[in-house]
Amino acid sequence: MEQKLLSLQDEAGKNLDQLVDAGQLEDFRIRYLGRKGLFSTIMRELGAVDQEERPRVGQLANTIKEEIEKLFDEKKALLGSSAQSGAKGASSIDLSLPGRYPERGRLHPVTQIMNEVCSIFEAMGFSVAEGPDVEQDHYNFEALNIPAHHPARDMHDTFYVSDSILLRTHTSPMQARIMESQQPPLRVIAPGKVYRCDSDITHTPMFHQVEGFLVDTKVSFADLKGILTVFTQKMFDKDLPLRFRPSFFPFTEPSAEVDIACVICGGSGCRVCKQTGWLEILGAGMIDPEVFKMVGYDPEIYSGFAFGLGIERIAMLKYGINDIRLYYENDLRFLAQF
Amino acid sequence: MKFTIDWLNEYVNTDGITSVELADHLTMLGLEVDAVTELFQDLAPIQTALVLSVERHPDADSLSLCQVAVGAETLQIVCGAPNVRPGLTTAIALPGTTLPGGVKIKKSKVRGIESYGMLCSERELGLGSGHGGIMELPADTPHGQSFINALGLSDTLVEVDLTPNRSDCASVIGIAREIAGILRRPLTLPVESAAIQASCATFSVEIESSELCPRYAARLITGVTIAPSPWWLRKRLLSIGLRPINNVVDITNLVMMEYGQPLHAFDFDKLADKKIIVRHPRTGELDFITLDGVARKLDAEMLMICDSVQPVAVAGIMGGMNSEVSDTTTAILLESACFDPVSIRKTARKLNLSSEASYRFERGVDPGGCLLAMERAVRLLCEVAGGTAEPGGVDKYYGQKPFNTLTLRISRTSELLGIPLDYEKIADALISIGFRCKEKDADTLWVGAPSFRVDIDREIDLVEEVARLIGYNTIPATLPTVQLSYPEQDTDRIIRAKTGTLLTGIGYFEAINYSFTSEKHLQWLGLAEGDPRCRLVRLVNPLSEDQSVMRTMLLPGLLENVERNINFQKTAIKLFETGKVFSPKGANEQPLEKMHLAGVLSGNRFGESSPYHCKQQAVDILDAKGVVEYLLQGLQLLGEGASSPLHITFPAQDRMEPFADPLQVLAVSAGDLELGSIARILPAILRKFGIKQDVFFFDLDLDVLCQLAPVAKNFTALPVFPAVNRDIAMLVPETVAAGALVDAVLQAQDPLIEQCEIFDVYQGDSVKSGFKSVALSVTYRSTQKTLTEKNVEKVHARIVNMLGAKFEGTLREG
Repeated sequence: MEQKLLSLQDEAGKNLDQLVDAGQLEDFRIRYLGRKGLFSTIMRELGAVDQEERPRVGQLANTIKEEIEKLFDEKKALLGSSAQSGAKGASSIDLSLPGRYPERGRLHPVTQIMNEVCSIFEAMGFSVAEGPDVEQDHYNFEALNIPAHHPARDMHDTFYVSDSILLRTHTSPMQARIMESQQPPLRVIAPGKVYRCDSDITHTPMFHQVEGFLVDTKVSFADLKGILTVFTQKMFDKDLPLRFRPSFFPFTEPSAEVDIACVICGGSGCRVCKQTGWLEILGAGMIDPEVFKMVGYDPEIYSGFAFGLGIERIAMLKYGINDIRLYYENDLRFLAQF
Repeated sequence: MKFTIDWLNEYVNTDGITSVELADHLTMLGLEVDAVTELFQDLAPIQTALVLSVERHPDADSLSLCQVAVGAETLQIVCGAPNVRPGLTTAIALPGTTLPGGVKIKKSKVRGIESYGMLCSERELGLGSGHGGIMELPADTPHGQSFINALGLSDTLVEVDLTPNRSDCASVIGIAREIAGILRRPLTLPVESAAIQASCATFSVEIESSELCPRYAARLITGVTIAPSPWWLRKRLLSIGLRPINNVVDITNLVMMEYGQPLHAFDFDKLADKKIIVRHPRTGELDFITLDGVARKLDAEMLMICDSVQPVAVAGIMGGMNSEVSDTTTAILLESACFDPVSIRKTARKLNLSSEASYRFERGVDPGGCLLAMERAVRLLCEVAGGTAEPGGVDKYYGQKPFNTLTLRISRTSELLGIPLDYEKIADALISIGFRCKEKDADTLWVGAPSFRVDIDREIDLVEEVARLIGYNTIPATLPTVQLSYPEQDTDRIIRAKTGTLLTGIGYFEAINYSFTSEKHLQWLGLAEGDPRCRLVRLVNPLSEDQSVMRTMLLPGLLENVERNINFQKTAIKLFETGKVFSPKGANEQPLEKMHLAGVLSGNRFGESSPYHCKQQAVDILDAKGVVEYLLQGLQLLGEGASSPLHITFPAQDRMEPFADPLQVLAVSAGDLELGSIARILPAILRKFGIKQDVFFFDLDLDVLCQLAPVAKNFTALPVFPAVNRDIAMLVPETVAAGALVDAVLQAQDPLIEQCEIFDVYQGDSVKSGFKSVALSVTYRSTQKTLTEKNVEKVHARIVNMLGAKFEGTLREG
């Protein structure tokens, strides 16, 4: 009998493992634990066991029955809860309820893009420098080869604080500031706020730029193309078509504007790209010899390039933002999207 | 700069090139095309019509009842124009047509008579201002045709966004020259050469300020009849958006657009003593009325064109009313001159007056081109306005420069551009747009720049021309070879980035506000007059009063953000901003710029969390305090307990903020350094910003914060023996700060005390009034042994007694 009990325990355990639904579970109960089940059948043999063996075997039988019942209940609970797949059930937890976690805020999209831009250039060995928002006319214009009454000043709608102090209209003054205090080789980017007195759906009076420049011996326009191609591909998409076209900035020559294939229409022409299939994303050029002369570099020895890009514009293209004014309203419904 | 492709074709044949290809060529040459538009598309439904018969309208004297042929159809039209007559070919808008002004034509009854369309005037078609009735088309124009085709109006407008250096392309010929160069097709000019042979005895020119007027040429045309221009001329001007005026003015405008040389026509009979003097105005001559009818105030620096008595034009900008060409003018003095760009720019700025002429002069007009444009205009004046050119003229040319010859090194060009080039490639490119090239030596070219390229005077200018002409897309993209170096990092930037990470990690959103603000915000905050934050950096030319001063604090911008968000039903607000504030130094000195970090909290504490887990609870001052503590800990600036170099305490009276609730305000400091403040904003202040719910804020001076040495990270051995916790509930007077009890426990400096925390503060039924119960949990631990009850009891009793004595407290029963 002892042997039969042990093999029953073994068999019941194996059978229980294989059960997959409630019907089979009931069959199992009847077969093993029912009044006419296998266990009861074996127990009837207890009377035939030796007198002095009987308490021990009886104890064993009870233990085995309890064991099987415990396993049965566990299985039942397991099958039961999975059958209800998490719903209802007084003792089970409703897993469709939201998870619990601390609140999360976001950085402003301008900061996010700014960080992304800076880290691409930092990875290429550029250092980061910041300068004053309220700048001297000298650094904003004169040192960049834009004398007073130069028509290029029309390209900068300038806020003035006094005759010679203004809100910087671009981050380019950092070129002059850094070059006059350091010697080449230089690889620097200068992020920051810039200001122009202009306000409409595509212009805010304050926006953000990143200026970058590299000065060394034998730097070429081809190098400018190379660095900006790497940047654009990292910032957007490695297969995105890119073009450099001639432009004019008084502090670079040759000057270029860089366009990417329109990210909205893919280059076929749409309202955003004014049907051209291209979107302007940055201005660049070889640093003008006049700028070098003003900081005491010999343009016959050193050459270099500079570029400047608008953060808001890049964020608009990357995220599809259609109104630049949204950036400075700080509406949480806007900020939470990035 | 605007031009049409039909106009361009006068100088260069663009057959086989689509407008899109043409635009692409220009853009890639650095002449960025802004827009390409099919012209006069709104006139597409307009047709030509022949008036067959005209009868008087039976019920209206001023109206005519006309039979009009439009192709095979004959239509009845009621017309009010005085010039309608049989045999007149004109323009008709049939029912269903919308005119350029937006008027929709319908079949209608006019005084009881059906009218099947409308005969149109120039004005109704947007082609001019003629009041003289319906359009009169050439008699041989067939009827029933498209009006655009019949008049040859079909054309494509191209708009180029010119960079300031390319004044030569502020002319259709300039653009044509670039296109001819890139297509390698010939350029045809209406006038190739011109000269003034002898001086004209009828008038004289004197230049008093020759440094501002490098060239002044003039000729006299007599016998002119002022009349509307012929169609071809008006069409040219209309197509680029210029309003035709009369034949003489239209010719000067046409030639200016063609050659880029501004011209001016004076009514010769209005010039006193038949004399032109180029000079500054004298006192007593400072009031002047320009052609646009506006009275201008001159100053002595401005350059004027005068007759023997008075100024008659603002040089290079606009003529005067007193010498304007009118319907009765018969003799024209035509000026083709060149003026100093800076002088023109200053004057235009001061007068707030810019014109097509000043636009060109500011950017630089080629003095060498004055006579060509003059000759072209003279011929047209004779041809179109019936004039006779008096022989000879005046040409005062003081600013003639020697021919501009530069050297260009092939090796230098190749090196700067990063592409191998040779003599042929460079010369071929430059010659295509009018440069002259000659080999100087194996590595050097002599290059002669044409006089119209006023922007070229250095080798680098030629390098750019070469790059532009061979095409930027032919230059490879390479990466520079540089020496490796470690870019030094700006620690302030790193700390700023860290604050952003920390704050977003606990639910704060970053805001960015304008650096300029309104002065009234500072008044709203109640800042005293002497407050340093009321010393402002003011903009000379702000866009509005609301953006007229540089901000001295971040709070006002953030409060505006709070107000906006509440308006849009976002009432749970946690915002922070990292930005500069500005305070003035001396006049004409850059102000002091300081970096601050500020934040605002309002509404539900758990705004972004699931309401299932976090029931709505309003934030309070301790949330604001908590953010600052969290932030300072995260920046390793706040150590544990008394060892911290930083303190957050109730402020001294002189550091009270006028906008802060005097009972809910804290000052952050490190020794003598003031770092910032934390406060509940007074509701009365908030109402001024349009906010009706509680707002808490914090503000930290990041520049000072960045200078603090962080608390060192030092390892302490992990405790070996277990700790024992004992709670104390003390009844103390309600004026005692709970934190003072903690400080007192920690300051007892018993080696067994490891930690002391407040776990409850209670006032209510079971506590007698004027008192509160502060429950502390004290952790005891020895580094030497496992503490027994007896060990702890001794110390604990001492602590309880100390607290009781120090704060007039009693141990709370039960």
